[in-house]
Amino acid sequence: MSRMSWAEARAGYLLISPAALLFLIFIAIPFGAALVLSFFNWDILTPATFAGFGNYQTLFADNRVHSALFNTFVFTVSTVVLHIVLGLLLALAVNRVVGRWLKYFLRTAYFFPALVSWAAVALLWRYALDPEFGFVNYYLRGLGIDPPNWLVDTTWALPSLVAIDLWKTLGYTFVILLAGLQTVPQHLLEAAKVDGAGPLRRFWNVTVPMLSPTLLFATIITFIGALQIFEPMYIMTKGGPDNRTLSMVQEIYYNAFRDFEMGYACALAVVLSLIIMAITLLQLRLSRMWVTYER
Amino acid sequence: MSVSRVLNWLGNLMLVALGILILAPFLWLFITSVVPEDRAFALPPDWIPTKLDWTNYRQVFELIPFGGQVMNSVQVTAIVVVGSLLVSSMAAYAFARLRFPGRELLFVVFLAAMMIPIQVLTIPTYIMMRYARLLDTEAALWLPGLIQVFSIFLLRQHFRSIPREVEEAARIDGAGHLRTLFQIFLPMSAPVLSALAIFIAQTYWNDFFAPSVYLISDSRMTIPVGLVSLQNQFGSNPTVVIFAGVTLVVLPLLALFAAVQSKLTQGVALTGISR
Repeated sequence: MSRMSWAEARAGYLLISPAALLFLIFIAIPFGAALVLSFFNWDILTPATFAGFGNYQTLFADNRVHSALFNTFVFTVSTVVLHIVLGLLLALAVNRVVGRWLKYFLRTAYFFPALVSWAAVALLWRYALDPEFGFVNYYLRGLGIDPPNWLVDTTWALPSLVAIDLWKTLGYTFVILLAGLQTVPQHLLEAAKVDGAGPLRRFWNVTVPMLSPTLLFATIITFIGALQIFEPMYIMTKGGPDNRTLSMVQEIYYNAFRDFEMGYACALAVVLSLIIMAITLLQLRLSRMWVTYER
Repeated sequence: MSVSRVLNWLGNLMLVALGILILAPFLWLFITSVVPEDRAFALPPDWIPTKLDWTNYRQVFELIPFGGQVMNSVQVTAIVVVGSLLVSSMAAYAFARLRFPGRELLFVVFLAAMMIPIQVLTIPTYIMMRYARLLDTEAALWLPGLIQVFSIFLLRQHFRSIPREVEEAARIDGAGHLRTLFQIFLPMSAPVLSALAIFIAQTYWNDFFAPSVYLISDSRMTIPVGLVSLQNQFGSNPTVVIFAGVTLVVLPLLALFAAVQSKLTQGVALTGISR
């Protein structure tokens, strides 16, 4: 290596060293440690004992984990579908609005809940849905509907959380898709129109292909976010009624920081990580079939 | 022509109605926090209150160390934003512009780590913090925040798009790598940096999971967990004080957001971060 490139390499290592060190301490080592710990039983206070695949065997037979996996799956699938469909509809609707102030109001109103912390949102909705004090059931009764006690009803608790999550986070998907729509070249839409394509055809043959990278991106981040859902359950329902709203992250949290079953909690976290990685990689692989990139 | 105009007008009206419907729970929150206790849970709600009562707000400060908790949140958020952008831009510059053995491998390892969910790292990190005697200190929140792989990735993409000539001109003027980074690359990256800053600030300001794991004392707590602890002081009884507490957090945010809305939504669109 010449002197110049040695100097360059040294500068490179120097500039990268804070990030590399932090990466090692707070990502690489914890990740490795979690994998190792998942094969042990450890309550932090007494020495750890090797458990082999014991934690994983327990996990797959654990009814609470079955509930948590099932709920997380239901929550995720409904969230992703609703986000993409409704987010796209909203983005398309707002995209054709011409008034500057109207556009400003709509973006503010739709996006604002996404900015507020889950802590505030969960408290707010807990009281808004209260059967005695909340205004939601009051107005539903006014409409002649006999509403359930949303967060306590075994059938309605999880759908209620899906709805609240939609109210809170749809603004993100909406904003991302709205920005994506702005990149659809106007001349292509015009050309399709000249060729006699109607609005639906223009949507399917021009807008969707041009928007597909944004759609893929929105789908992946919605998936990852939903699989890691924790706060609304933890604050509003505590996982109840009857574990119907228990999520995977909540179960990890309880095992690690309430029961101090560190090894078991790590095994749960490893399983969740594998699910997230598998779904992300699968989506990237499948995307080759439907995502079109320019050039 | 006029039919399509009417339809367009009706469509806009529906969009506005939806916007009002989405904001309605916040309005309910504000109103409930300022009406006298006996009207607080009146149904239908007094959408236009006639009498105001501010005692709830005083109570928030009496029940939890509200001011201190807000300052804790400010401190953690500020350190993570400034610190991580500094660390990230240095690494991004090296990844984008400097050749050294192992660069590609290291970058791939960093990229792969973006798929690791935070929860799998939290348990070993908690144990490390315990041994380092950092549990129940703010450092436990901001230290792991200094490494933001996504920021490194996004900044590297951006730095690569800066023309070589810019850098060569700086080199001829005698600027080293640090000066090139801080005086040329960073000023040219203001939009990306501010988008990242907004995203990181919002994540750490709102974070509930990490403080509820790493912190114990009320006085050290950040404001999201503080708010929820306000609820626990009353068991399951709804109380107007909570409405005041949540309002104190939400209202300034709304004002701030209304002011910087277009920048912020651009930032989200650019970085595309969720939750």
